[in-house]
Amino acid sequence: MTSLTTHPAPSRPPQESPGAADRPLPRTTPRRSATVRAKNRFVLLCILPAVVLFLVFMVVPTVNVFRMSLFTWSGFSPDMTFVGLDNFVTLAGDTQFVRAFQNTVLLLVVVTIVTISLGLVLAAVMTRESIRGKAVFRFVFYIPNILSIVVIAAIFSAIYDQENGLVNGTLQALSLEGLQQVWLGDQKLVVYSIGIAMVWQSVGYYMVMYMSSMSAVPESLYEASALDGAGPVRQFFDITLPLIWQNIRTTLTFFIMSAVNLSFVLVTAMTEGGPDGSSEVLLSYMYKQAYTNSSYGYGMSIGVVIFAFSFLVSLLVSRATKREPLQF
Amino acid sequence: MKKLLLTTGVALTSLALLAGCASSGGAESGKETLEVAALEGGYGVEMYTELVAAYEKLNPDIDVVLQTSKSLEDEITPNMKAGRYPDVVVLGQGRAAGLTESLIKDEALEDLTPVLDATVPGESVTVGEKLTAGIVGGLNTNPYGTDETYLMPMFYSPTGLFYDQNLLATHGWTVPTTWDEMFALGDEAEAEGISLFTYPTSGYLDSFFFALLADVGGTDFYTDVMTYDEDVWNTPEADEVLDIATRLLSYAAPTTVGYANEQDFTKNQQSILDGKTIFMPNGTWIVNEMAEAPRTDGFEWGLTPLPAVSEGADRFITTSVESVWVPSAAKNKDAALDFVAYLYSDEAAEIFTGSDAIQPIEGLADTLEGENATFYQVYDEPGVSALLGGFASTAPVEGVDIKGTLFGSADSIISGDRTEAQWQEDISAASEKLRQAGD
Repeated sequence: MTSLTTHPAPSRPPQESPGAADRPLPRTTPRRSATVRAKNRFVLLCILPAVVLFLVFMVVPTVNVFRMSLFTWSGFSPDMTFVGLDNFVTLAGDTQFVRAFQNTVLLLVVVTIVTISLGLVLAAVMTRESIRGKAVFRFVFYIPNILSIVVIAAIFSAIYDQENGLVNGTLQALSLEGLQQVWLGDQKLVVYSIGIAMVWQSVGYYMVMYMSSMSAVPESLYEASALDGAGPVRQFFDITLPLIWQNIRTTLTFFIMSAVNLSFVLVTAMTEGGPDGSSEVLLSYMYKQAYTNSSYGYGMSIGVVIFAFSFLVSLLVSRATKREPLQF
Repeated sequence: MKKLLLTTGVALTSLALLAGCASSGGAESGKETLEVAALEGGYGVEMYTELVAAYEKLNPDIDVVLQTSKSLEDEITPNMKAGRYPDVVVLGQGRAAGLTESLIKDEALEDLTPVLDATVPGESVTVGEKLTAGIVGGLNTNPYGTDETYLMPMFYSPTGLFYDQNLLATHGWTVPTTWDEMFALGDEAEAEGISLFTYPTSGYLDSFFFALLADVGGTDFYTDVMTYDEDVWNTPEADEVLDIATRLLSYAAPTTVGYANEQDFTKNQQSILDGKTIFMPNGTWIVNEMAEAPRTDGFEWGLTPLPAVSEGADRFITTSVESVWVPSAAKNKDAALDFVAYLYSDEAAEIFTGSDAIQPIEGLADTLEGENATFYQVYDEPGVSALLGGFASTAPVEGVDIKGTLFGSADSIISGDRTEAQWQEDISAASEKLRQAGD
């Protein structure tokens, strides 16, 4: 254990590329290289369990998804048939898949924009303005994030209830019966109804993330800008946003990943893709194909599409939002 | 030395981490172990534990490991994918996960025809002799349309239109026997603010459509539809089926589609208990499922087959039959077959009946009491016969879900998002794809 603590930080760089970087060393300084090698071995051994787990549980299954997408297989039978890209050709003509894709894209775009904007505004209000009971608000906004999705589905089933739900009930109390809707039964509305539940679930989490980075912005910047006559809105766009931009970028990528998953869980718990497949999302459709339609290979080809799609969107978002990091 | 210790330590840690993923082996008590997996349905678990105790008493050298769950598929599927199969599985077709169907499609079930000729353990009659005539032989026991039985019928229950006898009586209405009477009742009820029809979720329309297909076109037409006969959905019979269904859906309670989802389907069922809707397709489990729900005074469950197409025409009642099967990959097949035969013993039947689970054993239905007696009486109504089966299994077809197309579209028909013509076209296309896969 001593080898870990006695060596100072500067000796680290050679460790980071253990294979290539320290091989020429033995000829020049044999004694030092021996300790470096021992240390490298120790480090390698330390990361071995993590690497093994990562390979077994992440890399191998992912590679398998790609491989399986080229086969037809029911999931149980011993015979798998190689069909090349047939599954993807079928996908292109599968209207239900296209609808699921559209829903996923819609949720991804709308929910991401709404959640992130709302999270930012709420965080700015909570950090910059003096509001009574700030801690209570922060707690209340954060609660949905720790609730189980099944509980959220039950809550929203009560909110959206067409007869005595919160939304329709409020509209009735306000004599706005004309605006009452069958929130989970209208094929044009149901995706948005799910989107609202997703925003409600995640906005608190992102608010807390933004609050933490906003509170790190030095107060002096705000004071100086206030002297120059900048109001809260100007300060938000010209000081707060640019200074927490790196955080926003990270959370954007993060959110795109989690929105794909969250939409699946919420759809499964709330509508099962109904009415008549109108709220199906990519993951729920993949699940149905792979497990209930016994088309495992086809399901995996949907998995590949999801993988490629989320990867592409994350990449695009990351590229589009790239800015020179600002220091303060 | 230190290095050696370190290496060993790290290696052990990684091993321990991986070992956590492996399963622990079975009990080694010298006895033969029989793994039984059963779906915890509306009948509860108690009857299975009693059954296992009774079986172990009869066969002291067999240790039965019982696994029950409401989502049995989720629990046994991972093990099955890893090659560890239960010996006996009690699980019917028509479940969302479709595990039984998957294994049928894969021809991964053991042929259970010998069980029919086997003597029931502890008795002198064979299983085949005890079973109700005609219960074995349909697509749900002989899924490949051959003489070989792969799924033994476990419990059967009539599915049909459930209603409140008291609601009809207080309004002076009678149960309609023809579709014309049905729609006339719908108009009459509408005038009083009561809807004619609802369904919990569109999936519950399966029994409705099966019976309607047979009512309209007879069992031959029904079989043609179930086996995806060419152009079967473009026949006059199919037109009539969809006409009746579309007309009935136009009488659906306005709240139906909004509640026809996983969270709210009980609210559709509740509308029957509240006296707001007259009929819904369902199964006998509804009594237990809604046992705690509030209801109108004098509420009394009733069950009727679908109305006849014309006066005095044959009517069919879709009978849901849960199945027991043995995976071909099971380890103790002999013990499994013996256990399956035991399920039809008087002793087992008594245990099951105690939980309202009725087996298709000759004469058993006559011994029933209470609501169950009323339900099983539908088979005695004139011109009514039982209808078994479901869609034939084919090789999986990517992206084609005929049940979703046939039943799920009901939501869209009610909301007006799809027309009857589009509906027919979609079903026909799905049926054709499955026919090609079956060839």
